[in-house]
Amino acid sequence: MKQLPLFPHSWQKVGYIILPFFLAIGIAYLFFDYNIPWLQYKHNPQGFIVFTENNFTDEFAAVGMIISLLLIAFSKEKTEDEMIQFIRLESLHWAVYANYLVLVLCILFVYGGLFFHVMIWNMFTVLIIFIARFKYLMYKNNKSNQ
Amino acid sequence: MKNKIKIQRATYNLTQEDLAKKIGVSRQTINTMESGKYVPSTVLALKLAKELKITVEELFQLEKHD
Repeated sequence: MKQLPLFPHSWQKVGYIILPFFLAIGIAYLFFDYNIPWLQYKHNPQGFIVFTENNFTDEFAAVGMIISLLLIAFSKEKTEDEMIQFIRLESLHWAVYANYLVLVLCILFVYGGLFFHVMIWNMFTVLIIFIARFKYLMYKNNKSNQ
Repeated sequence: MKNKIKIQRATYNLTQEDLAKKIGVSRQTINTMESGKYVPSTVLALKLAKELKITVEELFQLEKHD
């Protein structure tokens, strides 16, 4: 049976540990304009590659969030067999539908500056909905088998 | 689709856990297959049949609505 390419089981724990850290930075940046001082890029006009001045706190938080969510979502379960992979794919399918349904509603009913927030959260919602759905189905599956 | 996994398992005095270990799946998967909620792949069906010393056709049977 062809297996899905997944991370080792232990990496899931790493995802759970680093997620709150990046989430906290992201929320602090988004709602309280917090910037990490050492992530400030100072403009250097003599340099070969010229960036505009920027603080990389938001990039740091977003990339960290994506990495931790990917680790949680796509690490193997303890016994990753074909039924669990089936549940995995089914949850992913469900999550993509649910995510775009919510996005369509937001496109229709959210306007102006608030829509910017929708787009920011939408970068992560597919993974978040997938994790929630998959964990719920796994919980239900374990419970009905006891 | 119905199956005789539970009956065959009882014949050889195997628990769900034993059978699960032998074919490399979780105990929950054996349980879900026995109850007919999950239909295994051909590979897994063949492994089950081999372990339970029965042919796949005997182990799994189509029902009218299939």
